[in-house]
Amino acid sequence: MEDRTYYSIDPRGKLRCVKCGVSLVKGGARFLYLDNGFPVELPVCPKCGFVYVPEELALGKVLAVEKALEDK
Amino acid sequence: MQIEERGSTHVYRQIKMLTEEQLVQRESRCVHGQPAYCIAACPLKLDVKALLRAVAGGDLDGARKLYDRIAPFPGILSAGCGAPCEAACKLGELGDSVSIRDIERAVTRFGARRRGTMLRMKKKKTVALFGSGRFALFLAGELHKKAYPLTVFCAEADAAAFLNAAADGVPADLREIDLRLLLEMDIRFVFQSALDRAQLDAQRAAYDLVCLSPACYRTLWPDGEADPALLYDPAHGVVAGLDGGVLDAAFAAKRAARTVDRLAQGLDPAGARGAEGAVETHLYTNTDDITRTARVPCDGAYDRDGASSEAKRCIQCECDECIRGCAYLRHYRKSPRVLTREIYNNVGIIMGDHMMNKPINACALCGQCTVTCPNGYDMAEICQLARKNMVATDKMPLAPHEFALLDMLFSNNEAFLCRPQPGFETCRYVFFPGCQAAAVAPGTVRAAYLDLCTRLSGGVGLILGCCGVIADWAGRDALYDQTRALLDRSLARLGDPIIIAGCPTCAKALAAHPGADVVGVWSLLCEIGLPEGTHAPERPLALHDACGARGDAATQAAIRMLAARLGCRIEETEYSGDRSPCCGYGGLAAYANREVAAEMTQSCLARSDAPYLTYCMACRDRFARAGRESRHILELIYGAAADEAPDISQKRDNRRALKRALLRELWQEEQTEMKLDFEVLYTDDARRMMDARMILTEDVAAVLQDMRETGEAIFDGESGLTIARKRIGNTTFWVKFTREGDAVYRVHSAYSHRMNVVRRQS
Ligand code: SF4
Ligand code: SF4
Ligand code: SF4
Ligand SMILES: [Zn+2]
Repeated sequence: MEDRTYYSIDPRGKLRCVKCGVSLVKGGARFLYLDNGFPVELPVCPKCGFVYVPEELALGKVLAVEKALEDK
Repeated sequence: MQIEERGSTHVYRQIKMLTEEQLVQRESRCVHGQPAYCIAACPLKLDVKALLRAVAGGDLDGARKLYDRIAPFPGILSAGCGAPCEAACKLGELGDSVSIRDIERAVTRFGARRRGTMLRMKKKKTVALFGSGRFALFLAGELHKKAYPLTVFCAEADAAAFLNAAADGVPADLREIDLRLLLEMDIRFVFQSALDRAQLDAQRAAYDLVCLSPACYRTLWPDGEADPALLYDPAHGVVAGLDGGVLDAAFAAKRAARTVDRLAQGLDPAGARGAEGAVETHLYTNTDDITRTARVPCDGAYDRDGASSEAKRCIQCECDECIRGCAYLRHYRKSPRVLTREIYNNVGIIMGDHMMNKPINACALCGQCTVTCPNGYDMAEICQLARKNMVATDKMPLAPHEFALLDMLFSNNEAFLCRPQPGFETCRYVFFPGCQAAAVAPGTVRAAYLDLCTRLSGGVGLILGCCGVIADWAGRDALYDQTRALLDRSLARLGDPIIIAGCPTCAKALAAHPGADVVGVWSLLCEIGLPEGTHAPERPLALHDACGARGDAATQAAIRMLAARLGCRIEETEYSGDRSPCCGYGGLAAYANREVAAEMTQSCLARSDAPYLTYCMACRDRFARAGRESRHILELIYGAAADEAPDISQKRDNRRALKRALLRELWQEEQTEMKLDFEVLYTDDARRMMDARMILTEDVAAVLQDMRETGEAIFDGESGLTIARKRIGNTTFWVKFTREGDAVYRVHSAYSHRMNVVRRQS
C-alpha cells in the first residue's frame, strides 16, 4: 500500500545539490518525532539523498506538528 | 552535551500527583468560586450580584428576569422582604450597604416581564390548596410554575381579595403588578369556601395532594406537628404552611412545592433536596481600595436612574487578590482553584492531548500568589508537582525547557570555574555570583570579586556556575541532584567556605545544601560598607524586588539600605517587597511561554515609568530587553557602565570570556581558545532572528564546520543563498548563507526543527 504523504513540496528546478551538482527532485522522506513517523515528499538530491526542509515548512507545519505531539 | 528527549508519545505511565484528599484540601483554600455575601444570605438564592450588574447597566428587563426566577409575586416579595442580603452586604462594613430591596422594587416596577412562550403540559397529579395568606399565595404561584393542576379553596370572594389577604402594607402599584400575574395563572378558585373539616373531607378524595395554609392547618389539627423544614405532616398526609414574614413565606412555599414534587412521585419528601436556603460563604473581598459611598437617596422609591445609580455602588464582590497581581493568572483567566483541578486532570490523562501543559510550564513558580492570597494559595507547588510528575512519567516534552537546561549545563561545564583566592589553599568565603550575572554583566562580577578579595580576610574563592534552580524549575530532579553534587564537591574543595551569593535565587537554592552557610553579597556589603568611589544616579529608580527574595525581609531591607547609602532615590511600587511579581524569568516561563513571560515583564514595568533597580540579574536583563533602563544594584555599586542587553549568544560569550580573563589575570592560567578556521559574519536580521529562534552562533558555526567537512549543502537559485544543515542533539539547524571569501561566510538566516527527517525509499 502507498504511504499517505502529509506534505508534498516540489523543488521546481530551483534547488541544486552543491556536493553532487544535480538538481533536487521531489522525493520521499519521513519526519520522525517522539516515536511517531510521517511520510512526506520533499526536495531531495537524487544522488546523495540530501533532504531539504524549507524554512517556511520548518517554522510552519513542522513546528505545529511538533507542538501537537509534544503535548500528547 | 545533550539531554534526553522523552522517548515516545505512546508510553502510558501514570503516577498520581496528589491524592484526591490533598487535591481537595488545596482547592478549598481558594474562595474564588464562593458566593458573594449578599447571595449567600438570600434563602431564595437570588443572584443579587448579577441583578445589580444588570440594573447598573440599565438592563432592568434582564434584572426582572433574574428576580422572577426566585418568586412568583415580585411585588409582595420586594415590598416586604426582610432583605438579609443587605445586612450581609460587604459595603455595610464601610458604611451604607447597597439598597438591594429598593432596587428590587424598581426592577419589579420598571422591568418588563418575559412571558413564557412555551405551552407547558400540565402534570398528572392534582393539588388542592386550602386557605389564603402569604404562604398560600406563594405556594399557589410555585405550584402553578410547576404545572400542577391546582384548585384553591379560599374564604375570599375573588382573586383580588385572595391576593390582598397576603399583601398587607404593600404599595398599591406593586400589588397591582402581582394581581395581574395571579390573574394570568391557570388556577381554579373555589371562592367563599368554608375551609372546615366537612369541606376538606368532601374534597380530599378528588385530589392527589392537599396543602393547607397555616391558619387552616391550625383550625383543623390544633396539635398537628408538620415538619418545619419539609412543611409536611405525615400523620395527616398534608402539606402545611408556616407563619412568618414575607421572605419566610416565600421560602416555605418553595420548600413546600419541593415536598409536593417528591410526594407526587411517591418519594420520601426528605430525600434529594439539595442545599436549601441561605449558605455560609468564605469569600474574601479586599475593600482597601474602595472608597465609601453613601446610598443614593430614594425618596420613597427609586426611578430607573436612581436604581441604576444605586446598583453601581455594588463592588461585585469576588476574590481576585492573586489574579490582580499575577500576569499568568490573568492570561489564563482562571482562578487557582480551577487551574489546579484542570492541571490535576491533565496529569491524569493517559492518552490524548494535554491541554494544560502550557499553563503548567508558564507559571513563574514565583510564589507571589501565596503572599497575595488571603489563604496562602500555593500555585507554584501545583505547577511544580505537575512538572515533576510529567518528567517522572515521561510526559514532559523537552522542547519548552531544553534551551535553558543546555544553558545550565554550559554554565556548569564549559563556563564553570572553581578556584580559591590566589595564595590560598582553602578559603573562608566563596563568591557565587550566579549564572545570569556572569552572562549579563561580567564586568560587574569581576569588579565585585576583586573588591571582596581585597576587603575580606581569610580568602575569597570564586565559583562561576549555575545553582541548579533551572533543573529544579524544569521539574528534573535527577539533573538538579547532579548539579548539587557538583557544587558540593566544589565547595568541599574550597574548604566549605561561607557562600557569598550574588543572586537571591541562588542564595535560596544554596542554603538548601546541608551545612551550607550562605550570605547575600548585599548583606555583606551592608556590613563591610560600600567600596570607594560609588556615585548614585541622578534620577529616582523604581525598586523591583526579586521573587527569589520573597519572604526574605533581611535581603529586602539590605537592598534598601545599600540604595540609601549609595544616595539613590528609590520609588516603592505597589506590589513591592513580598508581593513583588516575577519578571518572567522565574520557573523558566521565559523559555516555555514567551507570550506569558512578556506579559509578566510588562506587568512589572507598568508599575513605574522610572528606570528600574533590581537585585536579580535576570530581572535586570528582562527589563532591559523590554526597552526599559534597568540596573542591578551591583552594577551601581561597581560603577560598570550599563551595557546593551546581550543576546543569547553574547550571554554565552560573556561567560566564556569572563572565565578566560579571570583565569589569566588572577591564576595565570591560559585557556586554549577554540578558534574556528573560518569566519562567520551575520546580517542584523539574522542575528535578531537567531535570538528570537534561540539559535546560538555556535550552532551556526557547527553547521558551517560540518558543511566544510562534508561538502553537503544545497544552492537555492531563487535567493542565491547556500543552505547547510546539521543535527545537533535533538535539533536540526539550518543555515542560509553567502560565501564572502575563501573562508568567510555571511549568514542571512537560520532556523531549526526538532523533528528528524530521513530519506524514505519508496
Ligand atoms: S487570592 Fe486567588 S487563590 Fe486565593 S482565594 Fe482569592 S482567587 Fe483563590
Ligand atoms: S457589594 Fe454587591 S456583591 Fe458585594 S455583598 Fe454588597 S450587593 Fe453583594
Ligand atoms: S506566576 Fe507566580 S503568582 Fe502567578 S500563579 Fe505562578 S507562582 Fe503564583
Ligand atoms: Zn547530492
